[in-house]
Amino acid sequence: MKYTPRQPKSNVNVTPTSHIREFFVLAGGLLGLIVVIYLMLGLAVDLIVPHISIDLENKMGVHFFQSMDGKDADSQREYYVQSLMDDLQERCAKLPYRFKIHVRKASTVNAMALPGGHVIVFTGLLDKVSSENELAFVLAHEMGHYAHRDHLRAGGRAVVLMTFSALLFGVDSSVSKVLGHTLNITELSFSRKQETQADEFALETINCAYGHVGGATDFFEKIPKEQDPGKFGHYFASHPETRSRISHLNNIIRSRGFNPAKRKPLPKAIWTFIP
Amino acid sequence: MIITNIETVPGKTIVEHFGLVSGSTIRAKHIGRDIMASLKNLVGGELKGYTQLLQESRNQAIDRMIEHARQMGANAIVNVRFSTSSVAQGAAELYAYGTAVRVQ
Amino acid sequence: MYDLLIFLTLIAVGYSVGTLTEKRHYRSIHKREKAFLYLPAVTIKAVDYPEEKVRSAELVYGSVVISIDYFKKILAGLRNIFGGTVKSYESLIDRARREALLRMKEMAGDATVIVNVRIETSTIARKANKEGVGCLEAIAYGTALTLEK
Repeated sequence: MKYTPRQPKSNVNVTPTSHIREFFVLAGGLLGLIVVIYLMLGLAVDLIVPHISIDLENKMGVHFFQSMDGKDADSQREYYVQSLMDDLQERCAKLPYRFKIHVRKASTVNAMALPGGHVIVFTGLLDKVSSENELAFVLAHEMGHYAHRDHLRAGGRAVVLMTFSALLFGVDSSVSKVLGHTLNITELSFSRKQETQADEFALETINCAYGHVGGATDFFEKIPKEQDPGKFGHYFASHPETRSRISHLNNIIRSRGFNPAKRKPLPKAIWTFIP
Repeated sequence: MIITNIETVPGKTIVEHFGLVSGSTIRAKHIGRDIMASLKNLVGGELKGYTQLLQESRNQAIDRMIEHARQMGANAIVNVRFSTSSVAQGAAELYAYGTAVRVQ
Repeated sequence: MYDLLIFLTLIAVGYSVGTLTEKRHYRSIHKREKAFLYLPAVTIKAVDYPEEKVRSAELVYGSVVISIDYFKKILAGLRNIFGGTVKSYESLIDRARREALLRMKEMAGDATVIVNVRIETSTIARKANKEGVGCLEAIAYGTALTLEK
């Protein structure tokens, strides 16, 4: 037996391929898969959310609320906003929640509806409003989210999706991490439809409370004047474009025969921040 | 191509050898199969998806080894061994190697 | 967002440095394989050399631990979801085994032939980190026979 030294012409054990191309194909595929799962989860959440009891929501709400850091500031205005909210709820929007207003010091013009009836109002928003009707509309808008349980829908999908990926790939896996990043970006906001529905709910509510809808669109009218949409935070980023939103509200006001009338001023004594 | 896992090819004489030839592969099943397998793991029984995966991988490893031997000019591979590794989770890594020879 | 940036940077660094390292390693492998072409390594025991001419027989072995770069690791993770050949790991395995074989041959020095060669892999590193370091340890061993001239 003699030995003939020879080398193979090609490397049979390595597929000649472009890894970059494979990466983009697979990443694109994964993105598509996530979108499909996301949409399907959206449907699933819509099925599940109506069945979550208020009791359970209140229990979960505590955890959600505790994950938000920061302390309540400005107790005077908080007390005023709380009583306004209670008044709206008692007279016009009978929702099975015990709403608790938390005023937080931040420049963002924003309010948030957290599970369990915790409504966070930032001082940036309080500094911007100029009449009670205007503030009442924003509060009623958040109540509209509670009425349709949008706040659970928005949070529910994020929770379900993260649980799903944690089950599949493990909590620390790179896939879960990437997914976590995308979730944070997309899951912060309500959809246009949800906002429009909340707007309609708010319009009904303040029409019931004041007998007219004066001041309903004031808040949105301010945005173009400010010329600084960034300051308004994501409360507006996700909301339907302001213009179309105002015209939608005006359409309803006209068709329902609502009466746009005088605004009720805010209590001067505690609203010293107004320029 | 004659492939054996003994020292010789019975009935033939080895006249020339070319050294070591090898074929390796690493393959994974899609995530759906993995989930099904973990479910099946509750009740036990054959994991058909994984059996198939290993079968495919082994065949591909052998095919690559044969291709390697063909490029060396051999017509048989003797004393073939299989080996595995586990660098990636959920993937089958098969390695086949043997001695490329020419028999008469 | 900040984390995503870090992630993308890691991928970019992993790809560029990993590709460079792999190219350099393959160049070195090719060069040394050519140099060691005179020394055959076979899996069989009997290479029909006259027994009285064998001057020495000794165990030779070579081992190596090679790690995967971050880009290929992510690529393999993606491949794991869709199934198919994990192409990004092929070159890692190929390099590790060829390097181990070469080190074994280097240990054999001026021997005539290495018989009964076995190649194995192990994974010590997996134990240290549950997530898996993504490295491969290959070991090749055999008996080097040196014949009298």
